[in-house]
Amino acid sequence: MKINKWILICLLVQSIIFSKNYFIYATAESEDQVALLRFDGSNIHLEENIAVGVNPVEIEGPHGINISPNGDYWFLSMAHGVGSPNGILYKYSTENNKLVGQVELGFFPATLEVSKSTGLLYIVNFNLHGGHDEISSVSIVDPDLMVEIERVQTGVMPHGSRLLNNGLKHYSVAMMSGELFELDAVEMVITRKLKTSSMNKSHHSMMHHNHSEHIMDKSRPTWVYPSPDDKLLYVVNSGTNEVLEIDIKSWSIKRKFSTSIGPYNCEISKDGKFLAVTYKPDGFTGIWDVKKGVELAKIKNSRKVAHGVVISPDSKFAFVTSEGIGGEPGSVDVIDLINKKLIDQVDIGKQAGGIVFWKMED
Amino acid sequence: MNYTSKVIYMKKLIIVLFLLNLNISFAFKSDSTSTNSDSLHFKFEPDSLVLNVGDSAVVKISIFNRDEPSNNPFYVYGLDRGSLKTTPRMSGGEHSVNVKINAVKSGDLTLNVRSITVNRPDRKYDKIKITVPFPEIDRIEMNVPKTLFSGTTLILKPKVIDKAGILREDIVVKLKTNNKKIATIDDFGNLHLFKDGNLAITATADDIQSKLKLKILKNPINNIELSSSKKLVKTGDVVNFNVKAFDSNKKLIDNVPISFSYNGRIHFSRTPEIPYGKDFAKVNVLGDEYRFDAVDYGLPASAEISQDGKFVAETPGVYTIYATTGGVSSYTSINVLPRNIQSDLELVGIGLVPDYFTSDLWVWPGIGEHEGKDFAVTGTWSGDGHAYFWDVTDPSNIICIDTVKVDARTVNDVKISSDGKIGVITREGASNRKNGFVILDVVDPFNVKIHYEYDDDMTGGVHNAFIYENHVYSVNNGRKFDIINIDDPKNPKRVGVYELNTAGHHIHDVWVIDGIAYSSNWLDGVHAIDIGGPNLGEIDNSSINNHPLLSLSGKGSPSNPIPIASLSDPSKRNHAAFPFLSKSTGKFFIIGGDEKFPAGNIGAPNIEPSHPSGGFHFINFDDPSNPVEEAIYQVPEAGTHNFWIQGDTLIAAYYQAGLRILDISGELMGDLYKQGREIASFYSGHIDGKVAWSPMAWGAMPYKDLIFFSDMNSGLYAVKYKSEDDDEDK
Repeated sequence: MKINKWILICLLVQSIIFSKNYFIYATAESEDQVALLRFDGSNIHLEENIAVGVNPVEIEGPHGINISPNGDYWFLSMAHGVGSPNGILYKYSTENNKLVGQVELGFFPATLEVSKSTGLLYIVNFNLHGGHDEISSVSIVDPDLMVEIERVQTGVMPHGSRLLNNGLKHYSVAMMSGELFELDAVEMVITRKLKTSSMNKSHHSMMHHNHSEHIMDKSRPTWVYPSPDDKLLYVVNSGTNEVLEIDIKSWSIKRKFSTSIGPYNCEISKDGKFLAVTYKPDGFTGIWDVKKGVELAKIKNSRKVAHGVVISPDSKFAFVTSEGIGGEPGSVDVIDLINKKLIDQVDIGKQAGGIVFWKMED
Repeated sequence: MNYTSKVIYMKKLIIVLFLLNLNISFAFKSDSTSTNSDSLHFKFEPDSLVLNVGDSAVVKISIFNRDEPSNNPFYVYGLDRGSLKTTPRMSGGEHSVNVKINAVKSGDLTLNVRSITVNRPDRKYDKIKITVPFPEIDRIEMNVPKTLFSGTTLILKPKVIDKAGILREDIVVKLKTNNKKIATIDDFGNLHLFKDGNLAITATADDIQSKLKLKILKNPINNIELSSSKKLVKTGDVVNFNVKAFDSNKKLIDNVPISFSYNGRIHFSRTPEIPYGKDFAKVNVLGDEYRFDAVDYGLPASAEISQDGKFVAETPGVYTIYATTGGVSSYTSINVLPRNIQSDLELVGIGLVPDYFTSDLWVWPGIGEHEGKDFAVTGTWSGDGHAYFWDVTDPSNIICIDTVKVDARTVNDVKISSDGKIGVITREGASNRKNGFVILDVVDPFNVKIHYEYDDDMTGGVHNAFIYENHVYSVNNGRKFDIINIDDPKNPKRVGVYELNTAGHHIHDVWVIDGIAYSSNWLDGVHAIDIGGPNLGEIDNSSINNHPLLSLSGKGSPSNPIPIASLSDPSKRNHAAFPFLSKSTGKFFIIGGDEKFPAGNIGAPNIEPSHPSGGFHFINFDDPSNPVEEAIYQVPEAGTHNFWIQGDTLIAAYYQAGLRILDISGELMGDLYKQGREIASFYSGHIDGKVAWSPMAWGAMPYKDLIFFSDMNSGLYAVKYKSEDDDEDK
């Protein structure tokens, strides 16, 4: 008995000493709030709800969110301003969640990331509020000065976008024109593009776009994410229910993962083993074995309408935003990637959307 | 690979290796400080430039680490954005780069560089000044009558036009006269004419001079007659003073400018001429006796007088109006009594909405089996997609009779067709992001059915809508309004679109009356669009009471909306618009309402009490090509929202100031609030409201002898004027 007691005490002490806290930010697009969350390894807690936006009676729509490489700031894209159709990029301090800067961008700016190499921020102008046939762009912002220094034209309704881990290339997918764009983060020019519909046809031409080129593409790519070794990209085709694995060097589709209906966002674990994919319309998250290309589990989220996903740097947990419908609160679900099950959730504001991992602390 | 390709390849390789090296360093040194962070610096050759628009030049930019050339990459950009085109944008790993600069726009611009480093504190910025001068000034225009009179004052407003034909408001113009005994010009541009003679005015801007030769005539005025048709008016009444100026021969002279001014003293209950105290003051200042309520606090006498002789008082009192020219004056006094139009509103009934924020409302009479009954609908804001239907037949007992729930978070607007058959509710925050609006069958308000969910190309949400003659005017994505034919409400069809072509245009609301759509557009202000107004041609204007916009209509249709008049709003606050054809004066206004919440983008307003501000702007459109704002109604420290015009009264949902009713009869001028034109107010609030005891009036609508209004924090209200009988009963 005594030995058992000591074992229990040791386990308890160990769990206290070695337990980790995971911090996440998530946006609530129909609440004009950003939630700061803490996951203690077992339970997820709402630490703070940060009100964002200007006008209390207009929903301005916080959408994309990301953290500066040094972790000192979080950046937030807001769909539109007040009295202006243009969206705003906001910069907040992670120290106190206070606003420190802003810059007006294009229509409905969405996903964003700061390059580890250039220190510049790259953000797509999604233009959800447009006619769905207008060519849009990637804005490049100096996040220190919060000044837009360049705007590079891409495709129709560019949504998902990420940089390589080395920060040298930026990739974005244009939902309505069905294109993957490679932008040289240093030169600030588009270097390659690739159609994301099933034909493996690459386009190297940098011809001027026009509307007639962009008949709505059935693949409807919504997300792109690089592999940890920066050799592959994973493109989520929400319209054709697949995730494409793109070989960056050969600029061609290497594999296709057929998914459930409506894949939306994805992320690869840092150890390269897991691919988490949200299935938006049914509210599920798929956990895939990247190497084998098979779905290991399909986990029901706590709400209908799954949205974003991030994976903790230790590759143990996936955090998924579930939008909910109507007045339902949004939710952030925690999925144990090892045991393939949902272990906790926490309510946040309505229409939980963008999500980003901030830090891990012992 | 040819030589050029090899060079490019090598350059890129250098950059990549450099940046990868930084990345590796960063990975292993969490708080690393770069070895050269304090020593990197740039050199520009030349260190400043002056370029004309369209010109280009080359600036050599070099980067050094202490005194040694560095290959630390850097990028180049011009500010303001879009003003300078720079090539290349990146240093390409070279120590020195020749950057070609093209000047696109004028201004005091900068050519900026920033080193590319992983660690934020290591980044080095530098810049040089690039001056792109505006086009040279072409001329200075001064629109001054050639003949002026001594003893008068004229405001000079010189216009500077550059060689591109652009009006240059950034240029300071220096003005002087050649003879100070004849005239001087003060720091505010007022030309004071002292005596007759020949005068030259020189206007100088940069190195351009403009000379104006004037002949100052001796002021012939010997006598001024000043009169008004009224000696006794009330605050808010606009009095037109007539002035006649005569020379020594008693000849009427009509081209000499007359300036107007006033002084006044208030009817204060403790002033000697009011012997009977504040309740029934008796004033005998003009030989007549008047009995009225004097004010019981010592306000300053306050009024406004225009330079064409229009006078309006904000406070009661005796005012003396002066007309002056050339040292000759005339004056007359006028007695201004309190407007005394205040009335009380009393609550008749409330339809409490405790769970959600309430948005807009509509009230209508029942039809068919429900004829004789009255109904209302209200929306919800940031809730669960509900619209509430109410039986308001007995307004003292408002009963919720049905709800409709749609896939949305906000049902911002609700409208019912004039025949009482069709309802439209707008959607924002739909889970599929398609939003749009929902067409309802409201023939039986106890059992409302959905005809159709219209979401074609409306992903950004529909914020407001209006139903007019079987068409829905739907504010789409904040960019335009779409016009949807609902002859068959189960099969609606888009027939027209109206969108402004101004930069950054953003529409908020649209309202249709008599075939003209009135839209509110923030910066672009109020717009009137002919979507099917009557075609009266050049005759028969009387039938429309000389409505200036209806006189222009008749060419547009729902499928061919045609703009006919507009006025922008530099404050960017225009949130609502409503036409007003004054019954008492025949003047036509578009009243523009503000919406203004605390500015600053601090990100905190949502968790602090909201204190919107703003007012209503009365814009006279009698001349549609030259609209003029003539009056404003602004409740201090409160913010306007939706409103309605009924006859010559304005019924305003005034957010935290509750419901407000304003007398807008007669000629309008100046600050209507200060003139005591407010008839009544009602502060809404309920202990069980979404926010308890907190007025936040959203929309208002007169109906029969009641006024219904929605309050964001508590629901639907019915109020009425309190009658004297009510007081007697008590």
